Amino acid sequence: MANEAEETVRKLSMHKGVVGVVVVNGEGIPIKTTLDNHVSVQYAGLMSALVDKAKAVVRDLDPSNDLTFLRIRSKKSEVMVAPDKDFILIVVQNPVE
Amino acid sequence: MAPKKQKEAASKSRGNLVEDEGLDWLKPRALIKPDDQEEVPDADLEEEVGRILSTINPQWVADEVAYHYGRGMFVIKPRPTFGKAYPLYIYQGTAIRKDSDEAKAQIAAGYGMVGFDDAGPKRAKVKKSAAEEEEEEEPEPEPAAPAEEAKPEEDEVAAEEQKPNEEKPQEEPKEVGEEGEVAAEEGGEEAAAEEKEEAPDLGAEEVLDIKPRVKKLANQFNFCERAALTYNFPRRSVDTQTIPPPRANFGSTALQSIIFDYYQEDYAKKLREKEEEKPKRLRKKTAKHVKSEQQIHDEKLAQRIREAWTILERLVNQNIYDDIAQDYRYWDDPSDEFREGMGSLLPLWKFQYEPMRNHAVCDIQWNPHYQDLFAVAYGSLDFTNQQKTGCLCLYSIKNPAYPEYSVVTESPVICLDVYKETPYLICIGCYDGNVCVYNAQLSLETSYQYKSDSVRDKHSNIVWEVRWGARLIDGEASFFSISGDGRVVQWAVMPGELQATTIITLTSNVPPIPGPDGTMITVNSCGSCICFHPEREEIFMVGTEDGMIHTCSLKYNRNYVRSVHGHHMPVYRISYNFFNNSIYASCSGDWRVKIWEDGRDEPLFMFELGSPVGDVKWAPYSSTVFAACTADGKVYVYDLNVNKYRPVCVQAVVSKKTKKLTRIDFNQRLPVIVCGDTKGTCHVVKLSPNLRVMCKPPKKAQGIDQRTLQIMKLDKLLSLVRDPPFQTGVVDEKFEDD
Repeated sequence: MANEAEETVRKLSMHKGVVGVVVVNGEGIPIKTTLDNHVSVQYAGLMSALVDKAKAVVRDLDPSNDLTFLRIRSKKSEVMVAPDKDFILIVVQNPVE
Repeated sequence: MAPKKQKEAASKSRGNLVEDEGLDWLKPRALIKPDDQEEVPDADLEEEVGRILSTINPQWVADEVAYHYGRGMFVIKPRPTFGKAYPLYIYQGTAIRKDSDEAKAQIAAGYGMVGFDDAGPKRAKVKKSAAEEEEEEEPEPEPAAPAEEAKPEEDEVAAEEQKPNEEKPQEEPKEVGEEGEVAAEEGGEEAAAEEKEEAPDLGAEEVLDIKPRVKKLANQFNFCERAALTYNFPRRSVDTQTIPPPRANFGSTALQSIIFDYYQEDYAKKLREKEEEKPKRLRKKTAKHVKSEQQIHDEKLAQRIREAWTILERLVNQNIYDDIAQDYRYWDDPSDEFREGMGSLLPLWKFQYEPMRNHAVCDIQWNPHYQDLFAVAYGSLDFTNQQKTGCLCLYSIKNPAYPEYSVVTESPVICLDVYKETPYLICIGCYDGNVCVYNAQLSLETSYQYKSDSVRDKHSNIVWEVRWGARLIDGEASFFSISGDGRVVQWAVMPGELQATTIITLTSNVPPIPGPDGTMITVNSCGSCICFHPEREEIFMVGTEDGMIHTCSLKYNRNYVRSVHGHHMPVYRISYNFFNNSIYASCSGDWRVKIWEDGRDEPLFMFELGSPVGDVKWAPYSSTVFAACTADGKVYVYDLNVNKYRPVCVQAVVSKKTKKLTRIDFNQRLPVIVCGDTKGTCHVVKLSPNLRVMCKPPKKAQGIDQRTLQIMKLDKLLSLVRDPPFQTGVVDEKFEDD
């Protein structure tokens, strides 16, 4: 499992335009990252809050529904978030010129 | 007067009612009288009756009796003390009658005289008593003082002096007792005598005697008040503070979803409790199979993470290859409209697996179930410098960067086939003669699911092609393999093993060659490709390395049903047309692609492509379109309906200096082709509109479906090229003869 995760992170980070991959555990602590430490912590903290909020929005509209993925497109980059109750996976990608 | 006034008022109000037109709708008021009401004249009614208050009780009964149950007789009730008067108000006073028992008792006790006496004698008495008291009280302290003085001298003296003091009180009660008796006697006499005369004398006499011990009744005029003030302590404020209990702010939001979750949880809990109520033996059975909760959780978590990664990867890829994805779906070469009969290929994705850079794509096949998935067999066609390993990969066009599934094999993989019934089962043929079945659903650690026995029944040469066949009678899946050792073997997928059955051994015309020790060795012809009839499961065609194309039957394994000398070089592929089962194409290393019809020795069409042709495939969407790829890196697409002699599209997909194209495959549903080269790259190209021209139904018959039209198109074309009259059913005749 650990090897598999390692391999997946490596694979993903080798994709074109991928700036960083962050794996956040259930408590919002980044446990694996390819970014700088403080950037990862910032991403982890902010994204956990956003994910919670987004989840609340989706769940409140329909309690049997649930948030599965989150894509945030910005001018500079795109952040893709896979939220789960036990982990959050974050991939930051710059658009391909 | 009063009733009159009322009447007037009543009449007035009634008049008002009448006058008030707004209330006309009301019902007229009729007074309801009881039937038996006595008629009284108005004069009597208006008569005034006076009322008088009197003190005499009109209900007074002189002698009232009541039955006494105890005695069983009527007894006269005691008369009320107030006589005939009727009590309107009763007030209990504090005064008591002097001749009553209570008063007598009080007098006997020495009370009452004070309140009874006049002011004059009382004052004298008080003075007297006060004087006597002083006299009596004074002597007492005096003996005490000498006692104290005498103390140092003797205790006995003090004791003796105290004695008289003690004796005195003993005598006094006696006097009081006598006086009480006298008082009681006198009280009794007094009650009989007149009060006014006797009382003063008696009081004066008695007071003198009893006064010293009389206890006065406390009343508001006779009491003494004593007050004492204690020290006021100075006030001092002292306070202390405990350690404040730990506090924490707690906040939570009650969202609808949270409430919903709790309900779900509660429901699950109730279900569980219900489960637990079941008899124990039922529960034990289920418990055996259940894994530990932690294990289940871990597995689920791992699966969720895996899925999340996959989707994230897809997202990343979508961003990278967005333009290609758009082209793939929506872009059609607009220039096709202006060039009749010519098309082009639009290169889309390139798939490359880094570890397999030096391998060749030896076989490639779209998944029959998932339109975006294709399987690739990595092997090597450079036989002088053969790779040690091979690889089986599944690519999805959604993820061009990495294969969805990849497994490295011990030997280069030469061919593969995806099982149509269960598209995750893939059989492969290896360079070392083994065949394996891979289950793409299993994780990578378990590798292959089935593998041929390397010692007992594997091929002794390269397995050139594998094809899944129909299920066996017992229901097991089976596949066929053809190898360079000249055997066609059927492999039954039994639980846990592959069971081999040799279907046919390909013989050649070459006479037996004497071996080194003198034995004659028969030379088999080397099979290079196999192709099954689309409808008749037992018929299959075999291409050999010496260019022969044999038609064989599973039921008939001695000889060929039919043989055609098709090519001068190894036949690389035989492909049946999707619309006409008697038409097939073959390609070979002799640069040629030939279109054959069953039972005809000469090909219907023959095309020379100028380079060894690695693969030829009919298009699934058109009966007259086929594509071939050559070793010089070009893809040829022919549409016989458009041009019988030239390809409608020739396009170099790879550079011919470094790479050769090996295999090609049409997607079953999408207008794309995938072709593999010798450097391990798979190219997905899109067919331009001119390469996928559909049939337009004739005006007479608009309702015909596309398939029928395609068959008609091919038949029409065939009728043009069939030179000699065609004898149908050659295959069948031969078959029936046997």
